[in-house]
Amino acid sequence: MNTTISPLKIILFLLGFVIIGLPFIALLLSSLAAGWRWPDLIPASFSFRAWDYILFGSARTWQSIGTSLLIALIVTIVNVVLAVPAANALVRFQFRGKWLAEAILFAPIIIPPFVAVMGIHLTFLRFGLTETILGVVLAHLSPTLPYMVRAVVISYSTLSTERENQARMLGAGPLLRFYYIVLPHLLPGIAAGASLSILISLSQYLITFIIGSGQVVTLPILLFPFISGGDPAIGSAYSLMFAGMAILALLSLDVALKNYYKKKGVRSNGEGGE
Amino acid sequence: MWRKSKPYLLLLPATGTIVLLFFGGLFDGLLKSLGYFPAIGERQLNLDAYTNLLASDSFWDSLELTVRVAAISSLLAGLLGGLLAIALFLLNQYSEDENSRLWHRLFQLPLTIPHLVAGYVIVLLFTQSGVISKLLASVGMIDEMTDFPVLVNDPFGWGIILAYTWKEVPFVLLMVYPVLARIQKSWREVSRVYGAGNWNFIREIALPIMMPSWIIAVFIVFVFTFSAFEIPFLLGVTYPGMLPVYSFQLYTDGSLSDRPEALAVNIILALMTICLGLATYYFSKRWNVMKGWE
Repeated sequence: MNTTISPLKIILFLLGFVIIGLPFIALLLSSLAAGWRWPDLIPASFSFRAWDYILFGSARTWQSIGTSLLIALIVTIVNVVLAVPAANALVRFQFRGKWLAEAILFAPIIIPPFVAVMGIHLTFLRFGLTETILGVVLAHLSPTLPYMVRAVVISYSTLSTERENQARMLGAGPLLRFYYIVLPHLLPGIAAGASLSILISLSQYLITFIIGSGQVVTLPILLFPFISGGDPAIGSAYSLMFAGMAILALLSLDVALKNYYKKKGVRSNGEGGE
Repeated sequence: MWRKSKPYLLLLPATGTIVLLFFGGLFDGLLKSLGYFPAIGERQLNLDAYTNLLASDSFWDSLELTVRVAAISSLLAGLLGGLLAIALFLLNQYSEDENSRLWHRLFQLPLTIPHLVAGYVIVLLFTQSGVISKLLASVGMIDEMTDFPVLVNDPFGWGIILAYTWKEVPFVLLMVYPVLARIQKSWREVSRVYGAGNWNFIREIALPIMMPSWIIAVFIVFVFTFSAFEIPFLLGVTYPGMLPVYSFQLYTDGSLSDRPEALAVNIILALMTICLGLATYYFSKRWNVMKGWE
């Protein structure tokens, strides 16, 4: 049996190295290199110059991270508020024109959102929304909302109405029912949607550039000049930071969700279960 | 009355937002592509932008590049993703260890990497003075930097193809693997009773089961690559650019009179993605693909 396992593991390991290992090693080495000449496989000398520059030398790094996270956060909160009632309607009601609502909500997954943003650009200009955070937030909504709706729809479709009906008979109003029964059940779906929403918002370049006109500086806007023919060490350091920020945002959401369930588990045990 | 209108009221905020910001933008762009600029006194609708565009070589060159890059990268991502899915599946069948879950998560990493970073990774690895070239030189396979082929900022689009293949392999894996995971262990045992080896099992059982969702995954990657901007902007050449890059160049570099053409490119792009998207949707419903991964 071992003979069938080992070649498989070797192939997987090699693929893993090429797909995951090599890119990160290249980014890391390049960010730490003080000049990396061909054909040296390892840079001749190392320095922390690039990291020093992006972490301490330029206040714009932290400002841009703040702007990126602020935009992603607002976009995600708005998405949750819009998506939960919509998902409720899509899962629990049969009504005329449902296919149309679905087509409208999921259209931005297929039709590239920058088409709509370029089209609406001059109108945004007239309303004074360009070069503002609000304008960029509005522009980020259509590429992210469909994923949030989809995630919450999946959660809603596994929630039966029985427990809500029990709560109703015990006299719980709609708000209480939502808070104690629906919301806890939806949380994993909301968290999955929020991960996608944050990830997509963080990595937008074109849409932010068109509406922000270079005045709303998110991390991708700050990064671009460095990776398109700028200083490779700084470009690599920023790239690692950018990728790290996306991964960290996802991980912290994951951890927050696990903590929530742990606390909840303890509490319902303390109250003697359900 | 309340029962009847409730779903509509619940849907209103979300659909209203999309209609206003997204379809409003599409419509706004459509009007302007038809030459409707009330701000500068243009109220006549005409098809000038479209006729100019369809008569220009740059549009057709750009379209050709877009189709070529999207087709090659979706096929490559499909092949690699499919192979990985089968490899992970076999690993899971033979060993009960938790490692296969870890592998699965690890291979998902490129999905979370922003497009610009993915593009820059390709720059670092595949330029003539890049890491791969250094690697080949150190094992003596090439003598000069110029022996390494031009793969980044090349007119064929290899750099863009490499970047998208890297980004989308995990996506194909994500779509295909759950379908394979539904294959019961007992099927493998039954097939062994009838004398099927690994290869027979893959060909007769695993491949047919994963085929519908594999085709849909490749199709989705194709549509996504079709409307790509960041990666071709970074890794492409000035001429020809992929359609979104071409439109952006017309929109920002040209004069005000080029803007209707930029928006016309967008409308054509949107129409193409709608057709491709509808085809994908039709076949995924018909083959019941989505059931596999929900």
